[in-house]
Amino acid sequence: MFDFLIQGFGVALSPLNLGLAFLGALLGTLFGALPGIGPINGIAILMPLAYTLGLPAESALILLAGIYTGSEYGGRMSSILLNVPGDAGAVMTTLDGHPLAKKGLAGPALGLSAVSSFVGATIAILGLTLFAPLLAEVAVMFGPAEFFALMVFAFASMSVMMGKDPTKTAIGAVLGVLIGTVGIDSGTGVLRYTFGMPELYDGIDFVVMIIGLFAISEILLMLEHANRKDSDGDIPPLGRVFISLKEVLYCKGAMLRSGLIGFIIGVLPGTGASVAGAVSYTTEKRLSDKEGTFGTGDMRGLAAPEAANNAAAAGSFVPMLTLGIPGSGTTAVLLGALMLYNITPGPMMFSERPEVAGGLIASLYIGNLVLLALNLPLAGVFARVLTIPRWVLVPGIAILAFVGVYQLHSDLTAIYLMLIIGVFGYLLRKLGFSLAPVILGYVLGGLMEQNLRRALSISGGDVEILWRSGISLGLWIAAAALLVLPWLLPKLLSKLQPSGKPLEQVEDD
Amino acid sequence: MKLAADRWLGVFLIGLAAFVAVQALRLEVPFSYDPVGPKAFPLGLAILLAALSLVLVFKPGANGHWPDRALAVKLLAVLGVLLVYALLFTRLGFVATSLLAIVALARIFAASWGKALLTGVLMAMGSYFLFTHGLGISLPNGYWLEGLI
Repeated sequence: MFDFLIQGFGVALSPLNLGLAFLGALLGTLFGALPGIGPINGIAILMPLAYTLGLPAESALILLAGIYTGSEYGGRMSSILLNVPGDAGAVMTTLDGHPLAKKGLAGPALGLSAVSSFVGATIAILGLTLFAPLLAEVAVMFGPAEFFALMVFAFASMSVMMGKDPTKTAIGAVLGVLIGTVGIDSGTGVLRYTFGMPELYDGIDFVVMIIGLFAISEILLMLEHANRKDSDGDIPPLGRVFISLKEVLYCKGAMLRSGLIGFIIGVLPGTGASVAGAVSYTTEKRLSDKEGTFGTGDMRGLAAPEAANNAAAAGSFVPMLTLGIPGSGTTAVLLGALMLYNITPGPMMFSERPEVAGGLIASLYIGNLVLLALNLPLAGVFARVLTIPRWVLVPGIAILAFVGVYQLHSDLTAIYLMLIIGVFGYLLRKLGFSLAPVILGYVLGGLMEQNLRRALSISGGDVEILWRSGISLGLWIAAAALLVLPWLLPKLLSKLQPSGKPLEQVEDD
Repeated sequence: MKLAADRWLGVFLIGLAAFVAVQALRLEVPFSYDPVGPKAFPLGLAILLAALSLVLVFKPGANGHWPDRALAVKLLAVLGVLLVYALLFTRLGFVATSLLAIVALARIFAASWGKALLTGVLMAMGSYFLFTHGLGISLPNGYWLEGLI
């Protein structure tokens, strides 16, 4: 059953793909370390350029996956050194990472973050290797009705788990799906929401969408921090960068547990690194914080979220590769990238395109090693990237965005569209929306409609087909439970024990 | 003024939902074997969007931090620069427009004139060679300038 992996290593170990895994890891770490650029922005900005290289699908995916995992590493630099998390997944890293840096242990903190990221990612990649083929075998039995139910489940789980405000997460997803309906309807050839503009007949281009949504809105958002002194001068001295074996062993429990937690959370659709980091940190705090040192620079408090969010990043490949349902905003971007190559990830990918599925998984093993090898000795170099001033960074992003979109069709309309989407993304972020649901909705919406219509074509319009099979019925019930339980449980619990504390407060202390 | 931004957003989104629904209903569908057709999905989304927006109107979240006047001016300036960049991109060519855009953006992000000009020259030239020679992307040379020469 591991034929795909052997074939995958054959693909990933070719000189070109090895080089790309290395390049991806390097670029990803650099972009992730840039102030204000998280993994999703990094991929959004670099993806169009990856296309101009004219790479085959598996090579492009290896490059992008390298950028993804690399930027997860790089994103920790600013959390630890500056107390500024690069993205939502790194928030928990600041809690103990920055106090460590203040104690003069910035170097060891970076080293430990690299080691625990490596351990977490390794656990998750092993999990991916074991479970993805199994899940793919189950998923082969899925028909259009089951896929439709699965997507409803994914959106439900995302609404509950992602972002602060479930209503806004759901609205963001609906807006994303609506944007995805622009263009020629594949079923009937009818034009939808194109307003007579021929440029919109093919729909809103994926690259235009992600560059506008992430890169342009990021530029606008950076204005608010333009004069904030978070980028010059005050980086604490790194000290020694290498971490001792004793320190690693001290944290081994935290790393292993958190890696496992992170993987499981990453596999659930819609829940990514941020949830994993938070859950693992609170778990570890409860289990091993006997002296109350968490939050004051305890190494275990750094190791736990680092292992967990990297494990979640790798874990979110499981639903993406086997079901075609991305587990996070970033994997949604990768999924969209695959679709540009006319590959629809899903259960058939392991049997029909084993070189893509296996090559990607094998390259994750390789990339993970490369990242550890890069990050331990070069932490000091990467930390320099943090000092790049915004007046260099912003024009750089603008140029990459313009060229990335222009080279698609050598066409200015796409650039105007990118700017409009950028303003839209900026407004959404100012209104407290997270952008991951929007991009998930945009990527999944088309598939969702296709599956719904295919299912109803099979049944001749009878909606009962949507919940006729056991799998789809189970998914509908699970989705309903996810939506109702967070609202119902506290009420039930407070009825059972009127003096008991509500759940949320237990989470916080 | 305590009318939360979320309320306005909710009202706006309900309007958007209505627009989406009306547009969907006006689609003329040729005969096909597809029992659902292109209308049902957008209609369902519009209903869902309207329902979620109602929640927002009645239970608005906290009001975020909105840009003050100085920041709003800068925001418009950045958007203006990007728009002009786009307008001139093919007319003046990549190198010239990028130079202008980089200097303008660097100035808005509080760089001194010297630093902004240096960044502009280095970045415009460097990225031109990287993109055209390194990545093989063809960039506009600017048909206004070509006319002059």
